[in-house]
Amino acid sequence: MPSPRFQVPERLKLVSTKLSYLLQETLRGLRRGGWMNWAAISTVTVLLFLLGVSLQTSWQVSGVLNRLGSRFEVAVYLQPETSGQEFQSQIAQFPDVSSIEVIPKEQAWQDLLADLGTTDIVGATEGLGENPLVDALKIQAKSAVAVPSLARQIARLRGVENVQYLDEALKHLTQLNRGFSQISLGIIALLTLTAIAVITTTIRLIVVARNQEIEVMKLVGATTSWIYLPFILQGITFGLVGALISWGLIVVTRQFIQAAFAQQPSFLRALGEGLQLTPWQTMVLPLILVGFGSIVGIIGSLFAVRRFASK
Amino acid sequence: MSSTFQRLQAQVETPVNDHYTVQLRSVCKVYPQTRFSLLDINLTLRQGDFLFVTGASGAGKTTLMKLIYGAERADRGEVRVAGTNVGLLKGNRLSHLRRKLGVVFQDYKLIPRWTVSENVAFVLRSQGVPKAEIERRLQPTLKLVGLQKRADCFPSQLSGGEQQRASIARAIVGSPKLLLADEPTGNLDQDNALQVLEILKKLNSLGITVVITTHDMGLIQTVKAPVAQLDSGRLQVVPAEQVL
Ligand SMILES: Nc1ncnc2c1ncn2[C@@H]1O[C@H](COP(=O)(O)OP(=O)(O)OP(=O)(O)O)[C@@H](O)[C@H]1O
Ligand SMILES: [Mg+2]
Repeated sequence: MPSPRFQVPERLKLVSTKLSYLLQETLRGLRRGGWMNWAAISTVTVLLFLLGVSLQTSWQVSGVLNRLGSRFEVAVYLQPETSGQEFQSQIAQFPDVSSIEVIPKEQAWQDLLADLGTTDIVGATEGLGENPLVDALKIQAKSAVAVPSLARQIARLRGVENVQYLDEALKHLTQLNRGFSQISLGIIALLTLTAIAVITTTIRLIVVARNQEIEVMKLVGATTSWIYLPFILQGITFGLVGALISWGLIVVTRQFIQAAFAQQPSFLRALGEGLQLTPWQTMVLPLILVGFGSIVGIIGSLFAVRRFASK
Repeated sequence: MSSTFQRLQAQVETPVNDHYTVQLRSVCKVYPQTRFSLLDINLTLRQGDFLFVTGASGAGKTTLMKLIYGAERADRGEVRVAGTNVGLLKGNRLSHLRRKLGVVFQDYKLIPRWTVSENVAFVLRSQGVPKAEIERRLQPTLKLVGLQKRADCFPSQLSGGEQQRASIARAIVGSPKLLLADEPTGNLDQDNALQVLEILKKLNSLGITVVITTHDMGLIQTVKAPVAQLDSGRLQVVPAEQVL
């Protein structure tokens, strides 16, 4: 009696036979496709590039928005010689306030100098005579709706020089971002349909050219999946190659833009840092491209073989 | 082979029995476009039988074959192969049944872009047989039909008879239980026809059921086998002894 150990290689052999068959047939299909392959791959590439870029941009915009501050934040700048500590308890009594952070002018000055890229604090302070800044308060409102009225109330207090909140600016930016997303979503949808159509056409041409083979295959007992899986794999190949190329393009453009920002003065450089993706986003982006590319490839090739397979 | 005839005679009374390799019961097939019809066909073949099917051109010989290998469906009645109703099979189950059959197509259906070896190996590849096993089976099969020297030729480089033998090689390489040969000697001269017939007889002696369609009466007379005659849509079986 053969031990179970000897059965594993047999099964492995069968799997490897099937895999090598599928691979060979897929390659044969690709060779047959000729320049049509490139038509399919380049449409997929353009689609995935656009998908990747708009996804990345929306991530970057929200990254920058986060850097600019929360929508719930009100910044209060006090008159000179007014201490932030005194205001803290007074403002804390407003019902819409959720938290208060006091930023003494010394700290603000240091932050500013750091932002400007100067480390010589003493020297800079001496140059100006003294710290030109004032104490400030960062107030978090409980809701975005409450921000404008809260700002107005605080502005009426004595000793308050100026109240700022980003609500308006943010609204515009967010709207811009949303508009951009919608437009690119529309274009992506159109390109997806185009890519599917091109893949379908490419593969259908090959299926039709091999119609005779396929008929004989059916007559000698090849199963439907055995016959059509190579075509599906071909579609997936289009998706994968397109994903790879577009991913490369996206990385290169991103690095190019970041390099351009790195040459700029420091506050623009800081903005450039806002464009940086988180490690998670960096990892997920290629996965999304590969996934979306494969799905488009599968749908395109399924359309190509559907009518034939059901015969 | 007279026992074959007795069984064929008794076909109408024979109940549907899974023991038989091929069984057609009250089969009707109509092509509305050409108004062609096969009417009430009854036929029973047991494992190891040898049968000629004859009839004029357009009598329905190829159609009968197609009904057996499931390329056409009966409008009425049933076709059973190895106990399964072919007309009801679909998808993978039909594919698996066809692996047990070998078919020599009247029009060969060889792929022009492939060599003889590739055309023959294709059957096994289509069924997922490992490469080594394909290699092992290819040579003996080609030798059996006398094509070992033509293994790397393309169909266009073969004579009609060689193409015919290539299609026979393809039909038998999968070790079928049932061989359906549609005019396997159609394009051959007397010598080659006899040669092919010898091959089919040899396969039959190995236990394979063989059905041959032909309109070559000379060929029929060289083998003592029953003949099923198609005429006006009906099938009539003539026992081996009465074949003139
Ligand atoms: N797919 C089809 N649709 C319509 N009519 C068909 C079809 N196939 C065959 N026929 C008709 O059925 C009849 C029988 O055809 P079949 O091919 O079975 O004849 P045959 O006996 O094999 O003839 P031959 O000896 O010339 O090969 C013919 O008259 C043909 O026109
Ligand atoms: Mg015919």
